Amino acid sequence: MLLSVENLDVCYGHAQVLHGVSMHLNEGELVCVVGRNGAGKTSLLRTIGGFMKPAGGTVDFDGQRIDGQPLEQVALSGLKYVYQDKRVFGELTVRENIELAAYPTQVGLDEAIAKVVDIHPKMNKLLDAKAKGLSGGERQILLIGRALIGDPKLLLIDEPTEGLAAIIIGEIINILAAMKSKITMVVVEQNLATVSRLADRVYVMKEGVFSREITDAASIADPSTYEDEL
Amino acid sequence: MINFIQSILYGLTIGGILYIISIGLSLTFGAMGIVNFAHGLIYAVGAYALYTVATLLGANFLMGAIGAIAVSIPLAYLIERFIIRRLYGQSIDYAIIATYAVLLIGADALKWFFGASPLPISDPIGKLWYFGGLQMPAYRVIIIILAGLVFVGLSLFFKKTLVGKIVVAGLQDREAVRSLGIKVEKYFAIVFIIGSALAALGGVLYAPLSTLDPYMGFEIIILCFAVVIVGGMGNLRGTAIAAFTLGLVHSLTAVYLVSSAADAMVYVVMAVVLIFRPIEASA
Amino acid sequence: MFSKIEKSPILTLALVTVLFLLYGYATSLPKITDFIIFCIFVIGFDLLYGHMGQLSFGHMLYLGAGAYGCGMFAYHVYPDPFLSILVGVLLGAALAALLGTVVVKTSAAAFALLNLALNEVGAYLALSPLHEWTGGEDGLSLFFESYGWVDFNDSTFRFYFCLGALLLVILVVTAFVRSPYGILLKSIKENETRVKFLGYNTFVYKYVTFIISGAIVGFAGALTSVNLAYCNTSLIAPTRNVEVIFAALMGGAGTVLGAVVGGTAFMTISNYLASYIVRWEMFLGVALLAFAFWFRKGIWGYARKL
Repeated sequence: MLLSVENLDVCYGHAQVLHGVSMHLNEGELVCVVGRNGAGKTSLLRTIGGFMKPAGGTVDFDGQRIDGQPLEQVALSGLKYVYQDKRVFGELTVRENIELAAYPTQVGLDEAIAKVVDIHPKMNKLLDAKAKGLSGGERQILLIGRALIGDPKLLLIDEPTEGLAAIIIGEIINILAAMKSKITMVVVEQNLATVSRLADRVYVMKEGVFSREITDAASIADPSTYEDEL
Repeated sequence: MINFIQSILYGLTIGGILYIISIGLSLTFGAMGIVNFAHGLIYAVGAYALYTVATLLGANFLMGAIGAIAVSIPLAYLIERFIIRRLYGQSIDYAIIATYAVLLIGADALKWFFGASPLPISDPIGKLWYFGGLQMPAYRVIIIILAGLVFVGLSLFFKKTLVGKIVVAGLQDREAVRSLGIKVEKYFAIVFIIGSALAALGGVLYAPLSTLDPYMGFEIIILCFAVVIVGGMGNLRGTAIAAFTLGLVHSLTAVYLVSSAADAMVYVVMAVVLIFRPIEASA
Repeated sequence: MFSKIEKSPILTLALVTVLFLLYGYATSLPKITDFIIFCIFVIGFDLLYGHMGQLSFGHMLYLGAGAYGCGMFAYHVYPDPFLSILVGVLLGAALAALLGTVVVKTSAAAFALLNLALNEVGAYLALSPLHEWTGGEDGLSLFFESYGWVDFNDSTFRFYFCLGALLLVILVVTAFVRSPYGILLKSIKENETRVKFLGYNTFVYKYVTFIISGAIVGFAGALTSVNLAYCNTSLIAPTRNVEVIFAALMGGAGTVLGAVVGGTAFMTISNYLASYIVRWEMFLGVALLAFAFWFRKGIWGYARKL
């Protein structure tokens, strides 16, 4: 088992947002977490990613306990988080964004750039552009590509298609689908069309707990079987 | 007209020194959200180190400047390690209080070692340069050139070096840099020390234009906060523009209004800027 | 025990009265009068810092406004002590009302530094452009009319008058912070966004508090002028802001009695221990660090739990 989350409690001040959440991931799986705004999806992802300390419970990744570890260490252990709001380093160029991601993983710059260009060949022409000038879709692709540098074992991706045009969503889905065979992923997603195309398993989150886990392919492929739970 | 150009040049001298001192303050403010009064101490220590080496030990000005920077680095390291680092993510009030306390302790230590009376340092060049009808102490011209060099050097540092790029990224989004696996605080600490060394250099450069006293750090730090606020926290180019602008405000007020109003006018500009562009609290 | 005292206004006032009487007669009345006035300053300052959550690094400005308002009225207009004090309070409040329109819109670092900058400007104005009214560097020597036993030239009378003033301020501020208004203020300190979200105009609440603070600090300034029979630039000096901040922190920010404890403790240290402490500023700095890092609740914060 690659990731094992047991009885996670997460609080913001006095408000508890996750209540005893457990989740398990095998290598090679793509698991989607769906749920309404405020259900606790992002809190779950950020706690696993090392941004927040849980109030209770444990997170084990690749045979090691990572909850409470510093964010940097979690990232270096092979678990990368892809931001929801397309937070690239705007003042730096695309190349420099990649350079920063490559540096802690000790991957050479050329190899790192190749990794990003590989998922989206057009990025080759944008290398010297400042990242703040990129479109939303290009930023998202840069973030995903940047996270792949250093071959992490697990990606946590928060709402990859949010706020993007339909045509770009299609492209992002294709990129994620192509990555599926090589890397394990947890994707938080509201767009059920994306979920039904990508997910091996779906967790439905409601008010800080998983209300349902969907495992059979037929149900996942037909979002109408779970959309009214959102 | 000659008089006007001369006061502009004097303003650029003050602006240049303010720039050299403020850059570190701006980076600490922008990157870590910490109001660092202790920066004023490094500036004062720089000036006193110059005095020790150049006057007490009888070496030359350049050796004094090197000595000042050499002293500032370990001092800055200690302040970063034991004060600043404990203040990350804390309420900004404690940062203000704790760094002010460091400034107080340091000023008292300077008074202890060197006495309270003002100490003079003579102009290391002592020559006037003439440009047409204009006369200008060579030392002031050198300060302006030096400030320009520091600006170019820092611009290259933040554009070309990995440390510089990490800090630029960290100024925008510290958490995102950490999530790549980079210990961003370590790089902020490096920049903190560079900024402190520059503050010491500022103290060295300003010393011959004025006199040393143990409380010199208090006066300069508030002017530098004005520069940082006008220029935008963590904004490298903005800090340069603000420093030279406020230097000109300072000098033109002194020449054309009343000399004693110069500092107050800088604060008025700062207050006006804060009114129209309030800075947000960093948690 | 202490928390019980704090809850009862009568016990609070009685305790403060008895302790200051004992302290005053055991040492010297004029000195303890200084202490009492400083406590009023700390209470006014802490209304912003402890109760509203904004650290002003320039409240000497309002102390100066009160001191000069009182002093200039007595010197240039009419030396009636009560009118002079009233003018001092009003000047403190009016200045806060004027500057508050912009200062209160800022918060955290901007709030602290803007107050400091304005304090610098105020100190400069008092020293130089307004020196014909303020006496510039020399300040103003003051004389106040006396009416029978109401004699401000008598140090015993001044002691009792200032003690009464302190009790009044404690009573008013305690009632204020316990009122629904004060509770809202505390909520703003904890989470302003949430209070805004509930539909409150938080600016108005903070603005009014800023004015009240200006008035109380101005009151302390006016009493200082009366007590010293002079006012000069040391009463508006920006470098002295650290004193009131230290006192509030040491006593325990956010409680009225904490402000009194902190004010008294600070004055005791600076008046009685300073002559034994060779390196006074170093001592002050180390103590500040200790309170900022390890004892954030302050003396009263720990004592009230006893």
